[in-house]
Amino acid sequence: MSFFGIGQGADISIELSDSEKRKKVEVKNEEGKKDKLPLYLDGETVSGRVQINLKGKKLEHQGIRVEFVGQIEMFYDRGNHHDFLSLVRQLAPPGELNQSTTYPFEFLHVDKPHETYTGTNVRLRYFVRVVIIRRISDIVKELDVAVHTLSSYPDIINSLKMEVGIEDCLHIEFEYNKSKYHLRDVVVGKIYFLLVRIKIKHMEIAIIKKETTGTPPNVYTENEQVAKYEIMDGAPVRGESIPIRLFLSGYELTPTMREVNKKFSCRYYLNLVLVDEEERRYFKQQEIILYRKGDAKSARKATAKE
Amino acid sequence: MSKGQSLGVPDDQDKLLGEALKQVDKSSFEMKTCLDNDKLMDALKHASSMLSELRTSLLSPKSYYELYMAISDQLRHLEQFLFDEFEKGKKMSDLYELVQYAGNIVPRLYLLVTVGTVYVKAKEGSRKDILRDLVEMCRGVQHPLRGLFLRNYLLQCTRNLLPDSSNDELDGTVHDSIQFIQHNFSEMNKLWVRMQHQGHTKEKDRREKERLELRILVGTNLVRLSQLEAVDKSLYLKSVLPNILEQVVKCRDAIAQEYLMECIIQVFPDEFHLESLNPYLKTCADLQEFVNVKGIIITLIDRLAAFAHRSDISAIPEDIKLFDIFQQEIAIVIQSRPNMETEDIVALYVSLVNLAIKCYADQLNYVDDALKSTQEILTKKDMSKVGSNTSTGRELQQLLKVPIDGYDAVLTVLKLENYSSILKHFDYDGRKSLAVYLLQAILDKNEAITSWTQVETLFDLISPLLYDEADQPTDEPDPEDFSEEQGMVARLIHLFKAQAPDQQYQIINNSKKVFVKGGDSRVVHTLIPVVFSSYRLVVAYRSIQETDSKWFQKCERIFQLSLQTISELCKLAPEPSLRLYLQGALTADGVGNETIAYEFLTQAITLYEEDISDSREQVVCLTLIVGTFESMASLEEENHEAVRTKCAVASSRLLKKPDQCRCVAACAHLFWSAKVSDGNEPTECHDSKRVMECLKKSGRIANQCMDSVVQTQLLVELLNVYILFLEKGNNEISQQFLNQLIEKIKGNIEGLDKNEETEQVIQHFENTLTHHRQSKQQSEAD
Repeated sequence: MSFFGIGQGADISIELSDSEKRKKVEVKNEEGKKDKLPLYLDGETVSGRVQINLKGKKLEHQGIRVEFVGQIEMFYDRGNHHDFLSLVRQLAPPGELNQSTTYPFEFLHVDKPHETYTGTNVRLRYFVRVVIIRRISDIVKELDVAVHTLSSYPDIINSLKMEVGIEDCLHIEFEYNKSKYHLRDVVVGKIYFLLVRIKIKHMEIAIIKKETTGTPPNVYTENEQVAKYEIMDGAPVRGESIPIRLFLSGYELTPTMREVNKKFSCRYYLNLVLVDEEERRYFKQQEIILYRKGDAKSARKATAKE
Repeated sequence: MSKGQSLGVPDDQDKLLGEALKQVDKSSFEMKTCLDNDKLMDALKHASSMLSELRTSLLSPKSYYELYMAISDQLRHLEQFLFDEFEKGKKMSDLYELVQYAGNIVPRLYLLVTVGTVYVKAKEGSRKDILRDLVEMCRGVQHPLRGLFLRNYLLQCTRNLLPDSSNDELDGTVHDSIQFIQHNFSEMNKLWVRMQHQGHTKEKDRREKERLELRILVGTNLVRLSQLEAVDKSLYLKSVLPNILEQVVKCRDAIAQEYLMECIIQVFPDEFHLESLNPYLKTCADLQEFVNVKGIIITLIDRLAAFAHRSDISAIPEDIKLFDIFQQEIAIVIQSRPNMETEDIVALYVSLVNLAIKCYADQLNYVDDALKSTQEILTKKDMSKVGSNTSTGRELQQLLKVPIDGYDAVLTVLKLENYSSILKHFDYDGRKSLAVYLLQAILDKNEAITSWTQVETLFDLISPLLYDEADQPTDEPDPEDFSEEQGMVARLIHLFKAQAPDQQYQIINNSKKVFVKGGDSRVVHTLIPVVFSSYRLVVAYRSIQETDSKWFQKCERIFQLSLQTISELCKLAPEPSLRLYLQGALTADGVGNETIAYEFLTQAITLYEEDISDSREQVVCLTLIVGTFESMASLEEENHEAVRTKCAVASSRLLKKPDQCRCVAACAHLFWSAKVSDGNEPTECHDSKRVMECLKKSGRIANQCMDSVVQTQLLVELLNVYILFLEKGNNEISQQFLNQLIEKIKGNIEGLDKNEETEQVIQHFENTLTHHRQSKQQSEAD
């Protein structure tokens, strides 16, 4: 944008504090490619320095500000961003810059209620934005950061147990050891066959991600099968119990998100599918809650800063 | 190779297998290349795609086995690599998680087992936990064929890794190993049994065949259990066997039950079986109806019997009443299976008897009990006249043959009270063939039978050989077989050897009465040895004359019995009877009983006169009479004279001239060397004149022969007789007379045609002359 007024342009670079040491995580961007972004947790301070390098001798401006924005963006409605977080700091009052200047900034203990997310129809991102306000066109620079929300669920573990079936045809009881799993967790469970009158060929368990966007009546739902895992080969008879052990860390999963700012949800389901010899599929979906469990160190750090 | 619609024809199988193997080659090559380049992740991917071939449902068990073997060979490379990785410091627990991301369960579990094996070897985690996890995860494969092979792979891989001690609680003890194998065993057995119930009923036969091909996979579990060194008797009894048996009963599948029960017997040591008879046999009663329980129990009994026989008898602990246990349990099994075939029941008792004989040879009541039980069952089932060629008949035969073959002394059989009652259930052929078998065994072992009670019992058992029976076939028996059988009975008589002559008499007398009932066709075989035994008995009495004052009377009684016996034979077998008379005469002569001897002799001569009509036989018999008479010594002159005259007359009455000639010459001896008694000392006759008369007569008869060769031969023979008497000192014979005879012969010889026959005659003549010359020189020298 800076080429509008020749000699009037400037390059903005944003440098975050301890960017060398900070952990980086991969986040999918709009094009589906993965960027490595510095990772912040809820409550952490975001600070750094803004460097403005003049391309000409001077730069007139109506003020310079730095913002920390949390934004939800619907891919089908790009014009309309929804900022659920917007913190602003004035770096300089309107005036003129005669030389390249560096401004430190700091957003202390920022609440970051949601986790960075890139889905099919929606994206939730955090970024630092520096704006040099000018009469004709502002000079803007954005820098994305990743945010993880860490949760620690209570130690009470409720297993998920349910009996399902089709009358006189198939009765099974399944049991998952928990209803809430962290992202590196292992789903352990068992399927009991109480009644089998169909010729089962195999059984698999799938992880289904369900992304819901919009508000009624304009709701968009996207189902995506994140994992497909065969857990049984052949036909069991009554009384068999089949073990399930599914390691989650190998799949691309996010924490479950519910009604994030009333804009979107991302939920996960375990789908148990039995396929019979005529390729008929019998299935039962069961929602599981996924959460990100902080490792002990980062969790302590986050707490300390609050 | 098995075939069927669902699996296609054999050609298809070859093709399918070929394609699968090609794919395995390809993937395994890539896997190994990656391993060589240290690209573990890629190698695992290729391994997984190789293992995907095992997901097929198209192969028959046999083809699947080949595929499995090819793949498990390749997996060994992976295992080796992983082990090397571990030695370089790679953590196996990470790998153990990593391979579990494989989406398909069959490849995933093969990989898991492979890594798990190295994980155990690496001693990174608790051995028992890893093993438990592996065997538990394998539940995911419920397809029988694929599941069986997967679990077999698990067994193969963990072969040498199972904890086999009792003190490492953390890493695992033998108890964990038992649990591991038994878990695997019960799952494999379930899968194996399940095969039976899949697919169309019309393919039942093929399925059963396939199942039999796969049984070894299930059995391997039991082999592993038996290989655990820490499994001792008590552990076997407490932890191992009960679970196996429970599994066996629970599966309710005949093929599995039969195989596994046999398998238990085969893989575990006999010492264990001895201790676990009760639970094992109780289980036998609980098996499915179609299970060949008989076969199982018999296998066990035979094995234990062989074991007891092989090792010292003390190998069977005192407190284990082997026989009682089997007897009870067999009764329970039979009771619990009302539909059990009689043949199978009998077969069980065959084994039981076998056991009793091998392990408790001195406990006759054991065998007797078993026979009694069998007999009761036969009676209850109202089975009489069991055909010898029916399967029940064959088993019954076996039941009775086992004691015959088993006891060191065949005659022990006679002490079995219920033996003959079983025999009563046979048809005629069955009874007879067993009688022959028994008899043959006794004869082979040459066992002496020493009492009438024994003989009587034996006769009861072999009665089809002794009498005609009501149910025997109407057509005539094969004469050759018949005479062979009777020959055996005859040989049996020679085995009657009582200690004391009185008892022997009782045996002979009584058995004679039995034999007489056998009818004409039998007595000709059986009475002859009876008579001979009687004569032997006479000799025996004579040898105890010092201690038995009545020996002479007893002998007389025997002779009377013999006379009577022979008289019954006379019409049926004249010639043998004649010989018996003559033998009797000799025997009586030997004990100095002139009256009896004379009686025998006259009976012989009477028989000769009345019943020997064949001219050839006459010659033979007459020669025998003359020979016998010549060697007797007890006759006094009166009787002697009558007999020798009779002989001479009979000789000259023979039909053919050559026979007359020879016999008359033979009679000459009766006037020379035959001994006449004067009541005390026998003296030889030495009646030179009468000798000369005989010889001259013989010469005359010879001269009457028309055939010059025969005549010459007779003359040469006569010359011999002359020379004999000359040498013995008969002074009636002059050298001159001899010379005349010699000239006569020489003249005859000149007229003979030269041929082989005449050559012989000439040679005989020349030999005679040579002898004569030499003996003359000899006597002149003296």
